[in-house]
Amino acid sequence: MEFIDYYKLLELDKSASQADIKKAYRKLARKYHPDLNPNDKDAQARFQQLNEANEVLSDPEKRKKYDQYGKDWQHADQFEQARKQQAASGGGAGFGGFGGGQQSYSGNFDEDTFSDFFEQMFGGRARAEGARRGGHFKGQDFNAELQLRLSDIYESQKQTLTVNGKNIRLTIPAGVEDGQTIKIKGHGGPGIQGGPKGDLFITFKILNDSSFKREKENLYSEKEVNLTTAVLGGEIEVDTFTGKVRLKVKPGTQNGTKVKLKGKGFPKYKKDGFGDLFVTYKVSLPEKLTAEQKELFEKLQKSGL
Amino acid sequence: MKREDLIPAEEICIRYKVERQFVHSLSESGIIKVVIIEKTEYIPHDSLTNFEKMIRLSRDLEINLEGLEAIHHLLRQIEKLQKDNRRLKNRLSLYE
Repeated sequence: MEFIDYYKLLELDKSASQADIKKAYRKLARKYHPDLNPNDKDAQARFQQLNEANEVLSDPEKRKKYDQYGKDWQHADQFEQARKQQAASGGGAGFGGFGGGQQSYSGNFDEDTFSDFFEQMFGGRARAEGARRGGHFKGQDFNAELQLRLSDIYESQKQTLTVNGKNIRLTIPAGVEDGQTIKIKGHGGPGIQGGPKGDLFITFKILNDSSFKREKENLYSEKEVNLTTAVLGGEIEVDTFTGKVRLKVKPGTQNGTKVKLKGKGFPKYKKDGFGDLFVTYKVSLPEKLTAEQKELFEKLQKSGL
Repeated sequence: MKREDLIPAEEICIRYKVERQFVHSLSESGIIKVVIIEKTEYIPHDSLTNFEKMIRLSRDLEINLEGLEAIHHLLRQIEKLQKDNRRLKNRLSLYE
């Protein structure tokens, strides 16, 4: 992890008093608190950094080490020991050989985060206490995101997910929607003291890999129709999700005409049947005409068309 | 509601180190549900997320009960707006 400037994070300078630090932390925490910024991962990350900064700077001892050793403040004791050893053995007082610059810092303020707070209630530490108090608690709920292509969810399919090292086989119903969350009961964290297991919540992210637009079980597409077919009528070939079909075009079809192909849409989620496919005709006008075609159009023009 | 989905309020107060009054106040504000069975108060498991959220806000940001009520209300509005936004984006993609 890169060096984190805690003073900068809290928008303070190095001479900040404890009161300044508390005030700055509170102000920024109100802005970035994860509970006040639902589904905002940036705010969550920022809040964790703020917690780190506050944890270090509000503790005079940690702050002193941080000020003195910068990013290697956590290894200050090791530095001190090395310095003493070097001094005792007659070596120099510098820390050059210690490789301090390569040490990476990783904050350990989990006790301030929700997940650990929850863990304290339902996890390892709570388990021991739970045994003492005889509490029965449901296990922690897990959340996961699953990316699928639109073509993957045209039919129900079985998938194996690995969540926290465990393989979970699940059937994804056809027609699941983008952003939809399903609950897999009993696949969360273990219960405490015989309590039930938590649940697994899977949110689907559906990537459209087709030329169709989708709204729930209905599909939408556009089809180019040439001028003569639109005017005189005829037959065209239209793509559906499962293949091509031939459609009759009525004479005098206008640009933007929408036709419904019943049952050619997407499967209805957890229901029988399919939605519809709506095809919008885009009448294309010829850009280049042969001399003969031009003559024919001129005749049409003269006829008052 | 199954008994296994209920957690005794007393147990919750001990674990989270909160006063019983805090649970009552959240219940009166409609932020969490409290179920009474045979004179014992229980908090349903599905209220726990909200309960924890309120504890965090109260402790981390020193927000009082009135503030928690306002936040709870606004968060529900945000949730609804985010849902609407997602639905509208999906619809809009039909015209792009």
